Amino acid sequence: VVDQIRLWQLETERMAHAPGFLFKEFDSFEEYDGMARYAEEIGVLQWRNDKNGTFFVTKVEQLRDYLKSRKK
Amino acid sequence: MPRVIRGTLITCEPAIKSIIMHINAENNNEIVIEDLDDTHLLIKESKIYDLKRLLDLRLKETLKVEAPLDDSD
Repeated sequence: VVDQIRLWQLETERMAHAPGFLFKEFDSFEEYDGMARYAEEIGVLQWRNDKNGTFFVTKVEQLRDYLKSRKK
Repeated sequence: MPRVIRGTLITCEPAIKSIIMHINAENNNEIVIEDLDDTHLLIKESKIYDLKRLLDLRLKETLKVEAPLDDSD
């Protein structure tokens, strides 16, 4: 039972949280992949899911600029 | 153009995630924005401290049932 308690305690501490932004519903996988790679390069990528084409970043400013520059 | 949703990314064990989903259901689904995968959730930024408190409470309740003699903490 004591082991179980320790396990539970460890698991609560294991709930990590980070504020930021979820990107989803890209027009194409290429657009998603390109942006996720860029986010990783600049060190803001926290999580990505290639199956759903979604990713999470801690900062959004540079990605906004990236999107704008690609639209031109 | 992609959609961008502001929130807090939660990374945890699947067991903890399922408890969080229960807590969310009991709170009119006001905490979780999106279920991302087995170990990740997007929640409302403003709900992180509520969630932490409710999760601690839930885990303590679970411990009381499993270990009624342990009163430490």
